[in-house]
Amino acid sequence: MTGPDVAAARAFLEAEGALLDDRLWDEWLALYTEDAVFWVPAWTSEETPTSDPLTEVSLIYHDRRERLAERVWRVRSGLSLASSPLQRTAHMVSGVRIVDEAQDGSTRVRSTWTVHRYDPRRKIQNAFFGRAEHRLVRIDGAWRIAAKTVWLLNDLIPTVLDFYMI
Amino acid sequence: MTLNFAQLVDDRPDDGVFRVHRRMFSDPAVFELEMKYIFERTWVFLGLESQLPRPHDYLTAAIGRQQVVVMRDGEGALAAFLNSCPHKGATICPLVSGHKRLHICPYHSWSFDSGGKNRAIKGREQGAYAPAFDGETHDLIPVARFASYRGLMFGSLSVDVPSLETHLGGARAMIDVAVGQGERGLELVPGAVGFTFAGNWKMQLENCSDAYHFSSTHPSYLRLLDHRTEQGVEVPTAISGTDYWLGEGEKPLGGSICFEHGHALNWNHLDVTPALPLYHAIDDLDARVGPAARDWMLRLRNLTLYPNVQLAENLSSQLRIIRPVSVDRTEMLAYCIAPVGEPADRRALRIRQYEEFFNPSGLATPDDAAAYEACQSGYRSVAGGWLHGYSRGMARRRWGGDETSAGLGVDVVSASSGGMQLGDETIMHGAYRQWRALIEKGMAADGAVA
Repeated sequence: MTGPDVAAARAFLEAEGALLDDRLWDEWLALYTEDAVFWVPAWTSEETPTSDPLTEVSLIYHDRRERLAERVWRVRSGLSLASSPLQRTAHMVSGVRIVDEAQDGSTRVRSTWTVHRYDPRRKIQNAFFGRAEHRLVRIDGAWRIAAKTVWLLNDLIPTVLDFYMI
Repeated sequence: MTLNFAQLVDDRPDDGVFRVHRRMFSDPAVFELEMKYIFERTWVFLGLESQLPRPHDYLTAAIGRQQVVVMRDGEGALAAFLNSCPHKGATICPLVSGHKRLHICPYHSWSFDSGGKNRAIKGREQGAYAPAFDGETHDLIPVARFASYRGLMFGSLSVDVPSLETHLGGARAMIDVAVGQGERGLELVPGAVGFTFAGNWKMQLENCSDAYHFSSTHPSYLRLLDHRTEQGVEVPTAISGTDYWLGEGEKPLGGSICFEHGHALNWNHLDVTPALPLYHAIDDLDARVGPAARDWMLRLRNLTLYPNVQLAENLSSQLRIIRPVSVDRTEMLAYCIAPVGEPADRRALRIRQYEEFFNPSGLATPDDAAAYEACQSGYRSVAGGWLHGYSRGMARRRWGGDETSAGLGVDVVSASSGGMQLGDETIMHGAYRQWRALIEKGMAADGAVA
């Protein structure tokens, strides 16, 4: 076995959430490969998320880390009202399990997550929750995210959803 | 309640004055009147015919706060009904859309065909009904008026409305432009996106018409586009290829048109670059629709059909349905729309540009929604009285239209055009005049005290 075991995968996902909560977003970006795919499908019906980003709408679809870096820049820029002030978040991850290891040495990890958020601007709180799949690859002795899919289950979005709230 | 229109809208065109009072957006009594006399007494957008391609397809929608279902029957005819069983009132179709020959109420199993006809009443023989019951219809209750224009379906809960064509008036020309982009019309790209904001529904109605907000509400988006251009990033964007918020050209680069019955369009010139999803089709459009219609198709266009639907087209294209929930809460239902049969690479480009700009998880729309919330919060300062946000463009407004609108060949109420920075606000006047017309008509019909 070359991939992470469940404990290592869980530790990795928890660390990713902590970087997001702590707003250590440069370190968070560094977890991703340059050509990482970051995908949050939308839903086509009550039961079915979109499955093809080329022919269906996603909530977020990026196929390179640079697009995520743009989001980081944007919410820090002070030029986005929806990001000023930033919302406070608390990531939790559970149900971590290894799906499989591919021939190329990457490992797919599934998890269940929730993010509680508090918006100090409007003094309201809510939670986003869903499932996620990470495809992890080993680069220079560390795990990196080559692809992450986030299925958002409560997709009627109060005002704004951004990378650090999921 | 008593409602004095003059205390909510100060409309004095001869004096060059148009003002709206903060209370217009914050008073629950105003909202109640809007539901009763606007949403329940005029044509309201329900969906696209192309969402119901097969017999027995259906979709659910809302007219104000009332739930409806649009069905295609076995013969292919479309009709709209209240989504409520005549027996006990339960919702008949709980899903957003689907395909059913027979709709069975989940409570007591009364059943209805896709034409709304009652097919069975469980235990009717044993039910000891009085003859009066047999004398009544037990079909689904039809929406009073239902009609389509170019595949856009509308319903009205009131019989007393003009024909849909009359209601849409000159705005039909802009529907023609939107639908005509595809030889076979428009379709919804799969994947609906919904979001809510803590603000009055008219904030969304206005914002679509509001060219003035763009550079100040979306600087983070515009800077990102600039940054990509500087970096030579291959992500194509049409707005970044223009001096969108800088230029003042010789000929009009942007403007607005007010149509009858509250419908409105704002438009801007876009440089024709490969970032436009229609770029590949320009020659075909030239041949099929002619240069004038083609040029309209290549402009940035934001069309509002009063009171609840907007077609926003820039680097992508959005169909946006406004669902008022309460005076300070609104739910939005948004779809990417696209020409049927669009090439796969253009479709993918359209979708990416859609997500980036229009999604509540994108780089622009969240800042609009946050701005609506800032306004709603600000309306609590009702002592501030009148808002000053309806004055730009007043000195450029041409009653009956201007050079740009004349090219459409339809009747318009007024038009303003000028440079990219005109940010015309007279575009919003028509919606408030329609607001007044509908509420006054409704109150008069009900004998209510104004």
